[in-house]
Amino acid sequence: MKKTITALSILLVGIASYGFSQNKTITGTVTSAEDKQGLPGVTIRITGAKSGGAQTNVEGEYSIEVPQEVQSLTFSTMSYVSQDIAIGTKTKIDVVMVPDKKILEELVVMGYAVQSKKDVTSAVSTIKGDAIKDAPVQSFEQALAGKATGVNVTLPNGVLNNAPVIRVRGFNSITNSSYPLIILDGVPIFSQSAFANVPTNSAANNPLGDINPADIESIDILKDAAATAIYGSRAANGVMVITTKKGKSGGKVRVAYNSWLGVSQVYNMPEVLNAKQYMEIKNEARRNANLTDAYFPSFNADGSEVDTRWADVVYQTGVSTNNDISMSGATESTSYYLSLGYSDQNGFIRKNEFQRKSIRFNLDQQVLRRIKVGSLINYTSNFNSAPNTGSLPGEGFATGGLGRLAFVTAPNVAPRNPDGSYNITTTNSMGLSNNLSQTGFYNPQLILDKNIFTSSSDHLIASLFAEVEILKSLKFKTVYLVDNNKIEAISFLNPLHGDGFTNHGVANNISATLSKSGWTNHLNFQKTFAEKHSIMLLAGTEQLYSLSDAWGGSRQNVADDFFETYQGNFLTNNPPTTVNFQGENGFLSYFTSANYDLKKKYFLTASARRDGFSGLAEGNKFGNFWGTSVGWALSEEDFFKSMSLSNTINSVKLRASYGKVGNMGIPDFGSLSLYNSALYGDLNTITYAQAGNPTLKWETSTKSDLGLVVGFLKDRIQFEASYFNNNINGLVLNSPQAPSKGIPNNAILINVGSMYNKGLELSVQSTNINTSRFYWSSNTNFTTIKNEVTALADGNADIVGTTSTLERTNITRVGYSLGSIYAVRTAGVNPDNGQRIFLTKDGVKVQYSHVVPAGKSRWTYLDGTTAPAITASDAVVVGNALPKWYGGFNNTLKYKDKIDLNIGITFAGGYYVYNGSQAGMRDQRFWNNEVEVMERWTYAGQNTNIPRVVFGDNVSNGSSFPISENVERGDFVKLKNVSLGYTFEEKVFGKTGIKSLRVYAQVTNIYTLTKYSGPDPEVSTNGNSNLTPGVDRNTVPQATNYTFGLNLGL
Amino acid sequence: MKTNKKITTALTAFSFILVLGFISCKKDILNLTPKTQIAEENAFDTPERVLAQVNGLYDALKSGNFLGGRYLVYNDIRAEEFLNRLTNGVTGLQTWSHTLTSSANEVENLWGAAYTAINRINVFLKGLNDHKDKVDPTLFTQYTAEAKFMRALCYYDLLTLYARPYTKDNGASPGLPLRLKAETTTANNDLARSSVKEVYNQILADLNEAENNLPLKYSSSSLDVTRAHRNTVIALKTRIYLSMGQYSDVVTQASKIVSASAPFQASSGVQHKLEASVATPFTNYTTTESVFSMPMTEGDPPGTQNQLGYYYNKPGVGNGEYSLNKVAGGILADTSWKATDARKVNFVEAVGTTTYFKKFNKPAPYTDYVPLIRYAEVLLNYAEAAAQTNDLTKAIALLKAVRNRSDAAYVFSPASIGTQADVIKTILIERRIELLGEGFRSNDLLRLGQPIPAKANVNAVQPTQAEYIWPIPNSELLANKLMTPN
Repeated sequence: MKKTITALSILLVGIASYGFSQNKTITGTVTSAEDKQGLPGVTIRITGAKSGGAQTNVEGEYSIEVPQEVQSLTFSTMSYVSQDIAIGTKTKIDVVMVPDKKILEELVVMGYAVQSKKDVTSAVSTIKGDAIKDAPVQSFEQALAGKATGVNVTLPNGVLNNAPVIRVRGFNSITNSSYPLIILDGVPIFSQSAFANVPTNSAANNPLGDINPADIESIDILKDAAATAIYGSRAANGVMVITTKKGKSGGKVRVAYNSWLGVSQVYNMPEVLNAKQYMEIKNEARRNANLTDAYFPSFNADGSEVDTRWADVVYQTGVSTNNDISMSGATESTSYYLSLGYSDQNGFIRKNEFQRKSIRFNLDQQVLRRIKVGSLINYTSNFNSAPNTGSLPGEGFATGGLGRLAFVTAPNVAPRNPDGSYNITTTNSMGLSNNLSQTGFYNPQLILDKNIFTSSSDHLIASLFAEVEILKSLKFKTVYLVDNNKIEAISFLNPLHGDGFTNHGVANNISATLSKSGWTNHLNFQKTFAEKHSIMLLAGTEQLYSLSDAWGGSRQNVADDFFETYQGNFLTNNPPTTVNFQGENGFLSYFTSANYDLKKKYFLTASARRDGFSGLAEGNKFGNFWGTSVGWALSEEDFFKSMSLSNTINSVKLRASYGKVGNMGIPDFGSLSLYNSALYGDLNTITYAQAGNPTLKWETSTKSDLGLVVGFLKDRIQFEASYFNNNINGLVLNSPQAPSKGIPNNAILINVGSMYNKGLELSVQSTNINTSRFYWSSNTNFTTIKNEVTALADGNADIVGTTSTLERTNITRVGYSLGSIYAVRTAGVNPDNGQRIFLTKDGVKVQYSHVVPAGKSRWTYLDGTTAPAITASDAVVVGNALPKWYGGFNNTLKYKDKIDLNIGITFAGGYYVYNGSQAGMRDQRFWNNEVEVMERWTYAGQNTNIPRVVFGDNVSNGSSFPISENVERGDFVKLKNVSLGYTFEEKVFGKTGIKSLRVYAQVTNIYTLTKYSGPDPEVSTNGNSNLTPGVDRNTVPQATNYTFGLNLGL
Repeated sequence: MKTNKKITTALTAFSFILVLGFISCKKDILNLTPKTQIAEENAFDTPERVLAQVNGLYDALKSGNFLGGRYLVYNDIRAEEFLNRLTNGVTGLQTWSHTLTSSANEVENLWGAAYTAINRINVFLKGLNDHKDKVDPTLFTQYTAEAKFMRALCYYDLLTLYARPYTKDNGASPGLPLRLKAETTTANNDLARSSVKEVYNQILADLNEAENNLPLKYSSSSLDVTRAHRNTVIALKTRIYLSMGQYSDVVTQASKIVSASAPFQASSGVQHKLEASVATPFTNYTTTESVFSMPMTEGDPPGTQNQLGYYYNKPGVGNGEYSLNKVAGGILADTSWKATDARKVNFVEAVGTTTYFKKFNKPAPYTDYVPLIRYAEVLLNYAEAAAQTNDLTKAIALLKAVRNRSDAAYVFSPASIGTQADVIKTILIERRIELLGEGFRSNDLLRLGQPIPAKANVNAVQPTQAEYIWPIPNSELLANKLMTPN
C-alpha cells in the first residue's frame, strides 16, 4: 500500500511538473577571457527579464532553471561585455566573458559628468595613477613634473611635504593664488593656498599630502575655458580633477600590496671654503679694511685642527619606507575599494620627518533598481616634523634658518668643545673658539638638537551621493561633501641658545581647523536620437561653506631647562594675538551645460555658471561665467576615409574653445571697512584696520584655445598641438597708496590689472617598437608660454616684490613678465683696483670700496671722482623669472613583459633665477664663502669676477641690494627619474594565489645639466608667490632618492 | 508600464523636494560677517567704543616702528654715543652707519607708521564729527583735543628726521605732505610737500587748540602718564619752540608748568616734579616726573626687535645690539660726569671691555614704558631758553636742579657757568647726560646746525651732506607724483 501511494505521488508530481512548469535546467561554468579562471558573481537571466535568475559561485559555476520555451540567456557582470547566448538544445553552456573595452577606454572626468576621451573637445591632460603610485614623494603633485603639457610643476626645495609650485598655463593672477582648483571625487578640497590665513611653523604640512598616491586612478587637468567654465569662479587657474580607484572586475576580490624602501641624500651642495682657506680670506679681508687679523685655528682634543663641514651637521642620509594595501571588487550591484597606507619618511635634512596613516573606503551600491548610493571616504592622520630650514615662504632671512647656517658658519670652529659642551658664546652666537670676531649666527648643532617644530593633522575628506534614475536617460544626483582638517602646530624654542634665548625658552601651540562642507544637486540627461544625434544636458546647483579658524597660546621663560613642551612650567604667559583668526565664506552656484555631437563627427559643447561669493559687497556678489567649444572629427568624414592618407593617419580631430572664467581668492571680508580691537597697555582699543572696497568684483579670465589631435598608424603615434591665449582682466590688486595717506597696510583692493598668457603646447605619444620581445613607447611634451602684464593700478605703478619682507628682488611692471627679476646691474670687477663696478639706472659706471680714508666717498666714478651712491632705485628689470618653455620626455621600455625600464627627463628654459644665496656666499662679513672666492682680486691688472675682499663689505656682493652678478640663467635638462623593474611570470606562483609580482629599483633627481651655479634651478624661496618667483635665498637643496620596492597583486 | 510611470513620477517628485529644500537652506550663506572685527558703521555706536577709538589712536603712536621704540633708538644711534655690535641690518645698522637709502626698512617703516597714526586721527576726527549726536559734548571737545595733540606730535617727529631743521632757513626747506583730511579711498595720492614752516604752523595751531580743551588731570596717575592732559601739551610746546630756536616762546610756555623757584614743579594740573632718584621714573612708570609715556605690558609688548631694552641692555637681559661709546668726545668720557652720579651708577654697566646701557632695565618681554616727555627735559628746555634770553640765574638754577638730583655733591666750576656761552655749553652737556637713550641727540645736533660726530669707522656727517637727514621713502616717491626726494 505504502509503495503504491509513493509511486502514485511521484507520478502525480511528475505529471504536475511536466504539465505545469515544463522547466529545464541549464548549468555550466563562466570564465574570464583574461586569466581563464572562473568568474564569481556573474548574473544569468532569461534574456529580457529584469530580475530573477541565478549567479555564479566562487568557482564560476552556475545552475539555472528556466521555462522550456526560453530561447536565450543573458550573462552579465561589472566590467565585462554582456552576452546573450542561445540555448538551443544544450543543457550545459560554458561562457567566456570578455572585459568591456569601453570601461577600460580612456575616460575623462569633467564637470559633473564623465566623458570618453575621444569625445572631448577641450584642452585636457590626463595622467594615470599608475604613473605616480611608486614615486618617493609625500604628496601626489610632487610627482607630476614633466608629465603633462601646459602644466608646470616644480619642487621649491627638499623639505618634506612642502607644497610644489604648480602653474597651469602660466600665472593667472597677481594677488590671488595661481594654484589650480583641486577636486577630489567631487570635493573641492583645501590646498596649500588655504594656509594663507592659518598660521603654521617650520614643519610644512601640505593638505594634499593627506591623499595616498596609491589610491589615485587618474588625474585630469582641465586647461581651457570650455572645460573649466563649469567650475566657474574658481577655474581661472585650471582645474585638477582627481578620481580615486573603484572596484572593477567581477566578483573576485583584487588585492594589491605596494611597498618601497628609500634612501635620500642631499644633491648638488655648493662647495664652501675649508678652515684654512676661510682664515686666509677673512684675515686678508681684515687687513684690507685696516683691521688686525681675527681668525685663528682652533683644535680638537687630539690636537688636530678643527675643520668643520657644517653641511654634514645639517644634512644626513634619510631612510624612508612606504607600505599600502588595497582590496577591491565588484558585482553587478556593488563595487568597493578599501585601502590602508602607512608612510614613514625621513628626509635628507636632519630631524625632517613625515608620517602618514591613511584609510580609504569607496563604495557604490545599487539600493533599488533605480537608486544607487555611494560613499568615497578618506581619513588621514599625519605627522610632520622639520627644523627651521629657512626655506618655507617668509623664512628666507630667519637668523636660525639652517639652509643659510649650513654654508655661512665659520669652518674653523667645532659644534662642540673638546669637553663635550656646545660651542656657544654667552651672547647667543656661535662660539668663537680662538677667533677674535664673530663666527656665526647660531650654533646649528644646538638648535637642531633642541628646537622642535611639528605639525600634525587629522583630515577627513568624504563625499556621499545618491543617484536616482528617473528615466533611463534622465538621472538625478545629490552629493554631500566634506573636507575637515584639524591641525595642531607645535613649536618649542630652547632657552639656551638661538631664537629662544632672549625669552629664555618659548613654546607656541596653535590649533587650527580648515573645514568645508557642501551640497550639490544636478540633473543629467543623456540620449542618442536616431543613432546619430547624441545629447547630454546637465543642470544643477551647489552651495559650499568654508570655515578657517585658528587659536593658539604662547608661553615664555621656562621655569626649568627640563621643560620642552607648552604644558610644562613657564614664568610668562603671553598669548600672541596674531595667531588668533576666524574666517568663513560661502559660495552659491547655479550651473548648466550641454554637449551635442552628430555621428561622432561634429561636436559642440556649452556651459555656464553663476557664482555668488559672500566676500563681495551687496549688489556685486554674483558673477557669470561661461565657455563653449566646437570639434570636428575630420577623420570620420567619408571624403577623408576614401583618401589614401587615411592609411597612415587614422584619426584627425580639430577643436576650438572660448570662454570666460573667474578667480576667487578675495579675502573672506575683503569688501568691508573694518576696525580691529587691540590693547593700549591694559586698555582696550578699536582701530581702523581695513579700507574696504564695496565695488570689488571677480577677476575674469577670457580663454581661447585651438587644438589639433592626430593619430598615425592606428594610433601608434598620437600627436596633439594646442594654442592658447588667456586674457586676464580686472585683476584684484592691492593698489599701493601713498604711505602719507596712512591707509591701513598702504593698500586698497581694487579690480584694475590685466595680464595675458599665450603659448603653444605640443605632445607626441608614440609606440616606437612593439614586437613580442621588445616594447618601447615614449611621451614627449613641450610647452611654450609668454606672460605679460598689460595694466596695473594707480597709473600702472610698479609693484615691487620682496623676499621674506627684507629683500626687494622682483618687480611687476607693465610690458614685462609678472614678477621679473629686478636688480642693480653690475659690470664685473675693475682690474686696476679690484672694486665692483655698478651701473646707475642710466648705465653710468660707478665703483665701490667699502673702506676709504676719512672724508672720501665709498662710491667713485672709474676716474676716481666722487659719485652719488648706488641704491636700490638704480635697479632695472634684468630678466623674466617664468620659464618661456618647459616639458618632459618620458620613455617606457619593456623586454618580453618581464623587464621594464622607465626613463623620465624634464627640462625648462628661457628664464632667470636670482641667486641670492650666492650674495650670502660671497659676503665679506664673518660669513663663510663659496670656493670661488679664492679667485678674489689681489693684484693690479687681475681679471676676475670676485672683488677685493674687504671685511664688513656687504655691498659689493649683493647683500645690501640685489645685483645682476647674482642673476643667472636657469635653463636646465634634468634626468629626473630612472626605474628598472622585473615582473615575475605568473606560473612561478602556482597555487599560492599570487597573481603578479613586480620588483623594482628607482632613482630620482639623478643629474641636472645647467649653467645655474646654485643647487637647483627650479628653486623658489617664495613658494607659489606670483610676485616673487625665481628667487634662491638661503634655501636647502634637493635630494637624490634611491628606492627599492615591490608591487604585489593577489 | 503603469508601475514604471509611478516610480518615475515618485522619483521626480523626490528630486524636486530635495532641490526645494536646498534652495530654502541657502539664504544666509552669502551674508557672513566677521567675528573678530567690527564693521565701520558700528564703530561709534556706544561711548565705550568711542573711548576705545581714542585709546586706539594712542596705540597707533605706540607702533614699534615709531614711538613704541624705534623712533627713540634711531635718533640716538645716528649720533656718536653708541657703537653697533652685531651688524644686523634689521636693527638699525644702516641708520648708525649713515648708509640709508630710500628703500631702507627704517625709512619706509617709520614714515608708514607715523602717517598711519595721522590718518587714523583724521578718520577719527571725521567720524566723531559725523556722530556728534552720539557723544557727550565735553567728551567731544576733549577727544578732539587729544587727537590733535597726537597729530601734532606725529608731524613734529617726522620733521626731525625727514626735513631740514627749522633753524637752518627759518623753515623755508621742503617739509612734509600735510595730510589733514580722512583718507579711506584710492583718491588723493598726490600731495606736494608743505614747507617746514607751514608744518610747524599747523603743529602749533593744533597744540594751541588742544591746550585749552584738555582736562587738567585724569582719574588715575596711570592715565595721567598715558593720555594727554593740559600740561602734556605745554611740555611738548617747550620742545617745539626750542627746535624752532624761538627761545622766548619756550620761556613763556615753560613758566606755565615750572614754578618760579626750586624745588621746581608744576603748580596747576598734574603736579610734575623731579623724583628724588633719577632711577625712579624708570621703574615706577606712573610718577609725575613722567609727563607722557607709552605703556608696555606683558599682554601688549613692544614687538620683536623694537624694544629699547633689547637694543641697549647687555646680552642675557637685552641683546646688546649697541654698546656705549667710550672714546674721548663721547658723553661717557666726559670728565664732569662723575662715577658717583646716579645716572652712571644706575644706567651704565661694564661687562668686560664693553659698556652697556641699562636705563631700560626690564628683561624679555621688555615691559619698560617708553618715555616720550619727561619733566627733566622740560627743565632743561627752560634752562637753555633762559640762557639764550640772558636769564642766566634761572638757567643755572634749573641746571643745578637736574644735576644735583643725581649728583648731590657736584659743584659747577665757575668756568663752566661763567658766560652765557659757557652756560649754554654746560646745559647742552647736561642734556646729553640726562636724556641719553631717550631719543634727543640727533635733533639737538640738527637744530643747532652741528655736524653729527664720527664714531668707530663711521665718518662724521656735515650739515650740508645729504645724509644729515633721512631720505624720503621710495614707496612715497612712487605713489605720490607731487612728492620730491630729499
